[in-house]
Amino acid sequence: MRDGRTLDSNGFALDAQTQSDAVVTLKDVQVHYPVKEGALQRVTGHVRAVDGVDLTIQRGKTLGLVGESGCGKTTLGRVIAGLVRPTSGQVWMGLSPEEQQAVERLSSLSPADMSAEDKALWQSLMSQSLLGSMSADNRDKYRRNCQVVFQDAFSSLNPRQLVRDIVGRPLRVHTSLRGEELDLRVVELLEKVGLSGDHLLRYPHQFSGGQRQRISIARALALNPEFVILDEPTSALDVSVQAQILNLLVELQRELDLTYLFITHDLGVVQHTADDLAVMYLGEIVEYGPTDSVFDNPLHPYSRVLRDSNPTLEGEKVRKWELSGTVPNPIDPPRGCRLHPRCPAADKGCGWAVADAVALAEDSESAIGDAIRGVRSQNGFAAEIEFTTSELANEFAKAATESRLGESFKITPQANGTSVNFVFQTVDAAELRQVEEGRWTSCIRTQDSGQLPVLQINSKIKKEG
Amino acid sequence: MEQDWLLRVRNLSVRFNSRKGTVHAVDDVSFDIAAGETLALVGETGCGKSVTARSILRLVPEPPGQYWSGQIELKNSDGSVVDILAASMDKVLEIRGERISMIFQDPGKALNPALPIGRQLAEVFAQHRLEMIFSDAGLNFSTATKLDKKFIMQRLNRVQSSAYALLRKARASALEKAMANAVEQALADTGIPNPQKVMISYPHQLSGGMKQRVMIAQALACDPDLLIADEPTTALDVTIQARILKLIREMQQKRGMAVLYITHDLSLVREFADRVAVMYAGRIVETGESLRVLERPRHPYTEGLLGAIPHRRTPRGELAAIPGSVPQLLNPPAQCHFASRCKWAAEACKQVIPTLLPIENGRLVSCLRFEEATQSGAHEDLMPARAEL
Repeated sequence: MRDGRTLDSNGFALDAQTQSDAVVTLKDVQVHYPVKEGALQRVTGHVRAVDGVDLTIQRGKTLGLVGESGCGKTTLGRVIAGLVRPTSGQVWMGLSPEEQQAVERLSSLSPADMSAEDKALWQSLMSQSLLGSMSADNRDKYRRNCQVVFQDAFSSLNPRQLVRDIVGRPLRVHTSLRGEELDLRVVELLEKVGLSGDHLLRYPHQFSGGQRQRISIARALALNPEFVILDEPTSALDVSVQAQILNLLVELQRELDLTYLFITHDLGVVQHTADDLAVMYLGEIVEYGPTDSVFDNPLHPYSRVLRDSNPTLEGEKVRKWELSGTVPNPIDPPRGCRLHPRCPAADKGCGWAVADAVALAEDSESAIGDAIRGVRSQNGFAAEIEFTTSELANEFAKAATESRLGESFKITPQANGTSVNFVFQTVDAAELRQVEEGRWTSCIRTQDSGQLPVLQINSKIKKEG
Repeated sequence: MEQDWLLRVRNLSVRFNSRKGTVHAVDDVSFDIAAGETLALVGETGCGKSVTARSILRLVPEPPGQYWSGQIELKNSDGSVVDILAASMDKVLEIRGERISMIFQDPGKALNPALPIGRQLAEVFAQHRLEMIFSDAGLNFSTATKLDKKFIMQRLNRVQSSAYALLRKARASALEKAMANAVEQALADTGIPNPQKVMISYPHQLSGGMKQRVMIAQALACDPDLLIADEPTTALDVTIQARILKLIREMQQKRGMAVLYITHDLSLVREFADRVAVMYAGRIVETGESLRVLERPRHPYTEGLLGAIPHRRTPRGELAAIPGSVPQLLNPPAQCHFASRCKWAAEACKQVIPTLLPIENGRLVSCLRFEEATQSGAHEDLMPARAEL
């Protein structure tokens, strides 16, 4: 694949997803962790840490992956590093543009429809580039090629090993360097990251936070990788040291022609370092595009909120865009667009469903919240909610019709004795779609109108719930 | 400014004794906070900002800590002054929570994981507002028995407490109801929806933002004059951070309290602080109005900090990083601690400690570039280049 290592020289982003050489291509990757309960440890649900991610990381570029804690960005990074096996989906390594097209075409075919030629091509592609199916040689090669720098350099360095052993470890495993040659190589690496041979025989605790992160970087670079996953490399550091590390990373990228996946929650850092930006929320990528345009003109309410919440040193701040409530349970994420229960711009058609009606009842100030006796749900969009008294059922049916759920009902809810029947309009799960050149968003309303919905000033923003 | 200060810290030095020597964590720090104002204390890890904040409530453990010198004076409403460092512990306990309260960085660690939220908040009222609870319950505080007080202060064990609730049913339920109302009101004030539900939850059942709101409710329960916020949003996500900061500001405006805001993030200062004090290696290096300091930093360290904040307009890889790292504060030499990282450093910087001097209205800077050789006591030829004013 090294011979196919050409950069898209004009940097044109149109259809870059399929045009240029990709280090990693993710196809509908899911990571679901089972939730076990009870004495028998029965599986009662799945935490959807990563839920259907398509992503391409282009060679020589920096892709920023941002999102709040718990959105699945670290898990995604671990999938790419091969440290977590995805529940479903494919992780392709180092595909050339032609190979990407072939994968695109073949994965849409069922095995029965493939010609013998196609089957052979598919087989060879899989053994060469598909993580999990690739041959042992290719897998080792990938492991060498893709390295990780972790967030907390203190816990990711063995406190009982000398720097010489920490940085030399990958070389011992993957190469035949030993003894003096190994030490020389380690010193060379340390010098590359701004340390020196004097540091060879010291323990991690003898270094400051910034120096420890430099050791981590040296270890990651030991095998001359092409691709480095940086999982919050600077969030444990002070600003002045963070700047040193960021400068070092950029310098190394230029010198060694590296590709970065930069996972962070710090928008200032990502704005400074990343070429492209993927914004993650609740296991899904909600917006993808060139960093500057995502910041100038976000096409997803979540990116807009993130941008507006980030304190900056200049410009007047008008914070109209705010999220309400807290991150929903990833075991049963909201229907339609996953942001809609918290979104300031949510409207009908964003995926209002039974869970929102239950939340409405539980959040209400009156006694309604405690009066729910049971929810008999047919699917996410239709259910019968039973209350303790018929008055409360009546009251809630009326409250729900007047709330912002009101326009999303298929049938206006009516109390029937002590229970209320809710039937919502069915909405498909939001998908990442291209709305402009190189700009992808999963906001249903943005996809319809081509631009971010206008915020209604009087929209009912709930208090934190 | 001089007259209406609420808290005045003068020449505060806090040292920690360790086997290896004495750590000068806070060194000759002085600042004022006026009633109703927000002062941000900014600095990197280990610069002594948290120790300064904790000293104000006398929370630094002694030993190993030691209040080496200085006064922390708090003005009472009648104009008299208490020196917190010299006051008796009883007096300090009265001040804590009542006049000055504090919220901490990690709300998950600051709340007791084994107690429901409602009971934790009740402790504050039991400590400081017992009379109010009794009068709300329609009981006479002066005739209350020790047992009544012990019951509502949660000092009875489970058997005693159920016995009390059984034998003195009316009193017990009136007291509990008054307490629950007080707690509910405190929680509702911080915008927590469904406070009744939160009261019976344990900390692990709440989200980070919600726990921080509980902390704020607890800190503001007694209407303090000064709130010390020690990195209140560092453990939270940006979207939550914005809401918590907004809440603190709203509460400040509503109650007219002063806020001492400890943070490492200069970009927060601009939006939330009136004045800023930048700390480095245990000393204040620059103070002034926050907008003016951010616009035109005068101390090389402040300038460096601002340049190091990543920004889209700085070309990639050209962040103005401050070289080197923070010096050890173990038996530090008498010099400018920033000298080893400073581009202006001259011989004199390694010989004398610069003084925090006013250079313009409300702006104080501690740098030899702003001092005359005669003032600093160093030789003229060794002084760094004069700064342009």
